[in-house]
Amino acid sequence: MSALAIGPRRRRQAPPIISLTPQRRRAFGLLLRTEIKLALRRPIGVIVALGIPFALLVIFGSIPATTQASAALGGISFFTLYVPTLLVFVLIAVGLSSLPQTLATYRQQGVLRRMSTTPVPPSWLLAAQMTINVVLAGLGITILVGLGALAYGLGLPPTLGGWLVTLLSLVLTVAATLGLGLCVAAVASSPQVVGALQALCFYPLAFFSGLYVPLQTIHSTALNDIAKVVPTGAGFNALHASFLGHSPGVEPLLVLAGWAVVTGLAAARLFRWE
Amino acid sequence: MLIRTEETKAVPGPARTERPAIAVEHLYKAYGQTVAVDDVSFTVHAGEIFGILGRNGAGKTTTVECVTGLRRPDRGEIAVLGLDPRRDGRELHERVGVQLQHSALPDRIRVAEAVELYASFYERPADGRELLATLGLEGARDQSYAKLSGGQKQRLSIVLALIGRPEIAVLDELTTGLDPEARRETWALIEGVRDRGVTIVLVTHYMEEAERLCDRVALIDHGRVVALDHPAALGDRARTGQRVRLTAPDGFDDTVLRTLPEVSSVERHGRDLVVVGSGDLLTAVVLAFDRAGLRAQDVRPETANLEDAFLALIDETTKETKR
Repeated sequence: MSALAIGPRRRRQAPPIISLTPQRRRAFGLLLRTEIKLALRRPIGVIVALGIPFALLVIFGSIPATTQASAALGGISFFTLYVPTLLVFVLIAVGLSSLPQTLATYRQQGVLRRMSTTPVPPSWLLAAQMTINVVLAGLGITILVGLGALAYGLGLPPTLGGWLVTLLSLVLTVAATLGLGLCVAAVASSPQVVGALQALCFYPLAFFSGLYVPLQTIHSTALNDIAKVVPTGAGFNALHASFLGHSPGVEPLLVLAGWAVVTGLAAARLFRWE
Repeated sequence: MLIRTEETKAVPGPARTERPAIAVEHLYKAYGQTVAVDDVSFTVHAGEIFGILGRNGAGKTTTVECVTGLRRPDRGEIAVLGLDPRRDGRELHERVGVQLQHSALPDRIRVAEAVELYASFYERPADGRELLATLGLEGARDQSYAKLSGGQKQRLSIVLALIGRPEIAVLDELTTGLDPEARRETWALIEGVRDRGVTIVLVTHYMEEAERLCDRVALIDHGRVVALDHPAALGDRARTGQRVRLTAPDGFDDTVLRTLPEVSSVERHGRDLVVVGSGDLLTAVVLAFDRAGLRAQDVRPETANLEDAFLALIDETTKETKR
C-alpha cells in the first residue's frame, strides 16, 4: 500500500509491522487505538463518510419509481445505477476529506514533528490514519451494499467471479482516492489549503461518479470520454459493470491502478513531515 | 576559536576522561542561500546542564535539530552517546528525549492518553503516573491537550521528553511564553531532572535562564560559537561596559577620572559627564571626586541589564572574530 512507500526518505524505512518486536507492535496498536478515539471525538469525517451515503440510499431506495427498471437507463433501475455512485462517493469522502484534513492538521500543529523525535517515526501515524480510513471506507461500502441488498432489492454480482471483480474494482478505487488524498495532504501547507483543494477536486470528481446526474443519461461522448480517465468515472464504470455481473473490461481497472500508482509516487515525493 | 577556549582554559567540571555525552565538530548547515549554522563545535559532558544561548535566528534550533537527527548537516561531525544521528536515529531517539519548539499534540488527546501513547514508543519507559505527579499534572490527567494552559503544556512536554528514561534531554525554548513565576517553577523542575542523572541541553534566548541553570554555556551568533564558558564568567565579561552619569562641578578636570584603572572613557557634554568602564566603577568614581575634594552631583549608575550586556558581548566577539 502506498503508506509504506511514503517512508521518510531521510531515515531508514520502517520495517513491516509483522516483523516488529512485541513492544513496537504494541506501540502501533496503541497509536491506532488512540487515533480511532480521536476520530470519534470529532466525528464529522465519520458522519460525512457513512451518514450522507446512508441517507441518500434510504431516500432513493424509498422512492418506488427509482427501483423500477427504466428503459431510459437501458433496462435497469435508477437505484441499481446509483449504488455504485454512492460507493465511489464514500471513497472520495474518506480519501479526499478525512485523511488529508487530519494529516495537514497534524503537520501544522507539529504532531508529526514531535513524533519524529521518538523511536516511532511519524510514518506510523500516516499508516494508522490510512488503516482507519480504509476501515471507514470498508464500513461505508458494507452498509451501502448490505442495506441496499436487504432492504431495497439491490442486485448483487451473480457469480463468484463477479464478486472478485467487484472487490478488485473497490480496492483499486480505494487506492486511487487515498492516493489523491495523500497528494492533497502532501501539497497543502495548512488545513485551510486542504479545504480549498478539496472543494476544487470534490465537485468534478463527484460529477463524474454520477452523483448529480447519471452520466448515462447525458448523451455526450466528450463527457463520457473524460469520465473514462477520471478516477471516479473509471471507478463508477468498473463497479457498475461488475455489480451487473458484466466484465468491466481492463480499461477502467488500468485507469484506477494508474491513478493509484501515480498519486502514490507523487505523494511519496512531495510529502513533508513539517 | 571555541576550541582554543576549551583547550587553553582549565575549566573545572565533570571528569574529562569519560566519553562526552555530545560532541559536535565544525557543524555546517545551509538552507539554500541562507547559512543557518556556519561553524559550530562544542562538547557536552555527561551530567551537566549545557546551555545554547543566542538571539532568535542565531542557529540554535538548527544545531539541536542536527544533534537529534531531525536534520542532516551539510558538513561536520556529530556524536551523541557515541551514536551518529544520521545513521543511528532510532537508537538515538530511544536514549535522547527531545522537547522542540513548534511541536505539539493533537487537540483532543487527553493528558493521560498522550503519556501512555508516548510511553509505548520506548523500550523501557518511565512510570507516566509518577512523572505526571512530579510535574504537577496529576489533576489534569483527563484534560484535552487544547484546554491546557501554556505552563501545563510545557510541563507535559517535559513529561514526554522524559518518558523514555533518556540519558540526555534536549529542551528547546522551554520557558518561552511562560510568565515569570511559571518560568521559575520550570527551572526548579529542570534542576530536579539533572539531579536524576540526566544530561540536559537547554536552548534558550534568556540570559537569566542560562545564568541560573547552566553549568556551561555556548553563546551562538550568526551560526558560530562566539563564546563558551561558565555562565558566571560570561556574565563578568558581559558586565564590562558599565556607565555612570553625573554632573561635575564647574572647572572640573576630567583627567582625574581618565586615569582611573576602572574607567575606559569619559564623554563630556558641558558639566554632564558619562563615564564608561568596568568593575566597581561607581565606587571608583565617587572616591576619585572625594580625593580631589570635589563633589559630583546626580550620580546615576546605568547598570545595563544582563540582556543588553550579552548582546554587547555578542557584537564585540563577532567583531573580534571578523578581525
